[in-house]
Formats: sequence, C-alpha cells, structure tokens
Amino acid sequence: MIRGVRPIVDAVRAGDCSALDVLHETFDAIVARNGEINAFTAFTRERAEEAAAAVDSARAAGRDAGPLAGVPFAVKNLYDVAGLPTIAGSRIDRAPATRDAALVSKLTAAGAILVGALNMDEYAFGFSTENTHFGATRNPHDLTRIAGGSSGGSAAAVAASMAPLTLGSDTNGSVRVPATLCGVFGLKPTYGRLSRAGMRLFSASLDHAGAFCRSAEDLALAYDALQGPDPDDPACATRPVEPVLPMLARGLDGLRLAVADGYFTSQGEPEVFAAVERAAAALGATRRVELPAAGVARCAAMVITSVEGAELHLPDLIARAADFDPKTRPRFLAGALAPGAWYAHAQRFRRWYCQALKEVFREIDVILAPATPYPAFAIGQATVEIGGQTLPAAGHLGVFTQPISFAGLPALAAPVAQAGRLPLGIQIIAAPWREDLVLRVAAAGEALGVFLSPTPLPTQDNSHA
Amino acid sequence: MADPFEPARYAPMAASALGLPLAEEDAREVIAAFVVLARVANVVMSFPLPEEVIAAAVFSPDDGKAQ
Repeated sequence: MIRGVRPIVDAVRAGDCSALDVLHETFDAIVARNGEINAFTAFTRERAEEAAAAVDSARAAGRDAGPLAGVPFAVKNLYDVAGLPTIAGSRIDRAPATRDAALVSKLTAAGAILVGALNMDEYAFGFSTENTHFGATRNPHDLTRIAGGSSGGSAAAVAASMAPLTLGSDTNGSVRVPATLCGVFGLKPTYGRLSRAGMRLFSASLDHAGAFCRSAEDLALAYDALQGPDPDDPACATRPVEPVLPMLARGLDGLRLAVADGYFTSQGEPEVFAAVERAAAALGATRRVELPAAGVARCAAMVITSVEGAELHLPDLIARAADFDPKTRPRFLAGALAPGAWYAHAQRFRRWYCQALKEVFREIDVILAPATPYPAFAIGQATVEIGGQTLPAAGHLGVFTQPISFAGLPALAAPVAQAGRLPLGIQIIAAPWREDLVLRVAAAGEALGVFLSPTPLPTQDNSHA
Repeated sequence: MADPFEPARYAPMAASALGLPLAEEDAREVIAAFVVLARVANVVMSFPLPEEVIAAAVFSPDDGKAQ
C-alpha cells in the first residue's frame, strides 16, 4: 500500500498506479481498522469511485490531474459534504448539505478524493472525542485511550493509515491536541488564512480550519491547495495564495528559534517538557521567550468560546436541551448565562494580547512549546493529578494550545520521535501569516530525526492497558 | 460592598431572562460549569485594560499587515 500524500501524488501522476487502485486500498484499510478505532461516521464511496475514475481518465487523456491527484481524504463531520447531513457530532436533525464546504471543493479541484466524514466532540466543544451519540474514537496507538479532540476522528484516521490527509478544525487546540495524542502532524494556520465557508462553526471569533498528515511535506502540499481568499467567510483574509512547498528546503538557516518559558514550563507531566527540550536541542533553539499574560489568554479564550458557542445553539438549548450530549450540555448551558461584560472584556483583551505578541516576534521567528500536558489518557477518565492538583482530564488538555490560537498564530503540532510509550508532540509557532516558517522547522526536524509520525501496530494487540 | 455571589440563585434567573428552561436534573452540573466559567472570567476581568484598547471588528491577528 502506498502511504502518504507525496508518494500517492507521484505514483498517480507518473502512471505507476491508478487513483482507483489507491482508493480501493484505502477502503481496504478502513474496513480493516475502522471497526476498532471508530474514526468515520459516514462514507462517500460512490462519489469517491467517480472522482478517482475522473482523475485516471484525465491522466490518460494527458490532462493535468491536479497537485493532489488521487489522494484520498476525509473531513471532520462539521464540513459540508453535498448529500450528507453536516451533523457536527450531534443527533439533532439536519437536512443534507446541498454543496461542499469551500475547503472540500478546493481539495477536490486539486484532484483529491473524498472518502468520508469523521467523528468529533459534539459541536467541537471538547478535547477527547468521547462522543456519547457516536461513541468514542479510539487511539490507534492504544485502543483503550482517547484520540484527543475535538477533531479526534481526523487525527486517528491519519494515524491508522485510513487516509493520508484529513481536515479538522481548531478553536482552542482541536487540531493540535488530537494530532499530538495520535502521533501525527497537524497544522492550524493563521486565523483568517483558510476559508470556513460551509463549515459549522463553534466560536466564530476563534475557529480555524486545519489539516492532518504523516509528514510536513504532505501538510505543505495540502495547505497550498487549501489557501485563498473567500468572500463567503467574513473572517477570511484577502491575502493571495502564498505557497509554502517551495520554502521547505530552506531549513533552519537564519531562523531565530526560542523555547516558550514561564507559563509553558509547568502544569504538565515531566515527559512533555523533556520532549520539548529534546526537540529544542536538535533544532538548536537555545533562547527562551516568555509570552505575556498567556494564562489570561487561555481564560479569555474559554469565556469567548463558551459565550459564542452557547449563543449559536441557544434556540436548540431552549427547545431541546435534552438532545445534547450530556458531555457538552452543562457547559453550553453555563455559557448562555455569562454576563456580557465578561465577553466584551475578553474580546478587548484579545486585541491587547495580539499587540503584545507582536513585540515578541521582533526578536524571535519561531517559538517551540509543549502541545499537550500529557499523552492520551484512558477513555472515561474524568480527572488527572498534576502538581498536586486534581484537574479535569479533557479540559486541561488545552492548557498550552489555547494561548496560541487565541492570538490566531499559525501553529503546527509535530510528533517527537520516541517521546515515550505513547505519542507526544510539540507546537511550532510563528508570527501571523508565517506558516512557511512553522512548516520549514517541522521539515527540518523530520530531516534531523527528531520529528517522526510513529506507525501504530496494525492489530488489536496494541493495547498496553 | 456587593453581596457574596450565589451561583445557585443567579443561574435560574439568568436563564429565565433568556427564556431558557433549566431542567432540574441539569441544574447541579450547569451551576458547577458556571462556577468554573466565573472563576476563569474573574482572571480576565482582573486584567486592567485602558479604554483605548478596542476589540477588532473583523479580527485579524496582526491587523492584516504582512510581517
């Protein structure tokens, strides 16, 4: 089986194999593994067969089959897919979408083949993909453990080689957390870089689209196809496409790297900080940098998320709260009750925080920080003990990702090679619109051997519990 | 000085302002979630901001300028 975006594109474009062959191998892998992992909630087999055949005939006719020719991909089930209800992890009725989300259209136009939709926390309000309606998505590296969330299906599908490319969304860490826990690369570009048109949002002030792959180059290929302005998303920037693939080979030359200090050095398990130091040593990052008021930023992100999420779903909370997942319902209801001043102050603080971070990026190009405070915990586990404190196991997963997405900074979660028995990763963070830098550092780290997406054992014997 | 905050009294009243029914079986968890949110919000409210800091109408992490 051909694994990875780049190998598939090369093979299909060269005629070494057909898009249909790749597709059939993909569905074989899904049949073999999805039952135990529970990443997919829907399949688009008929459409996929047609699209793969179209790629093959384009190639046969000598036409360009696209930069992602024949690459199977799947999307978090909050992306519109024509003909499927966009459930966003909910059981509340939804008519089938009449058209694809903008990013699904972009990947399809590039020759990629949609194979299905993926599990998530209800309305993206969670970090564990323990969805009561559709079941938990299991971590391919240990089936007794969570995949992370809220884009858990997206990360698990890539980790288990059921798809070389998936899309997710990240409001507070929902791409970076599951990517880390499943041991894959996850990219959350700058706020406003990718169109969210045709996605069901959670908290529009903070929602980003993002992608998962098994290598930095694969992510760069996908990201270049996803970029571009879109008037259908009012937050999408009017910047032109800025391709990153040609930049990857530039390596670390001239980059000022620093490790996040202060807030980012506690509230997690020691192996997490050890992984950051290993990566920093390999990449030659000797500086330290403190992000101003990072803890306040996390709190402000929680206020904005809670209030916007509750308001978005208020009609259903009023009419049918009992139909919500019991894991999200109390938090949605609580968000509805927040005094307005909390929200307005959090939004004003966000502006202050972004201005303060600008100063940091005068001295530093790339920041390395932990991605999660611990590796994947057991499905059903409610709390963790960190530094003598009892904390909510899922809620605390965002402690290091929330202060980064709150400023809209581009961030990439990269798996650190042999971090421990379970996957662990770090965040690679840059100034707004500098996705090229985070991808360059990720690619350089891969070349140095410090970043590697581990391959899970293919059988049910991988439970170490 | 303001009275000590009583979330168990506040939550049903705020919900009724929205026409939001709070099921009895949800009340305990909703109040617990609200207490967490209030604690988090207190951190935000304790961060003083001058009047001149305004929220962005369409939020751009660097006001749209290239680096």
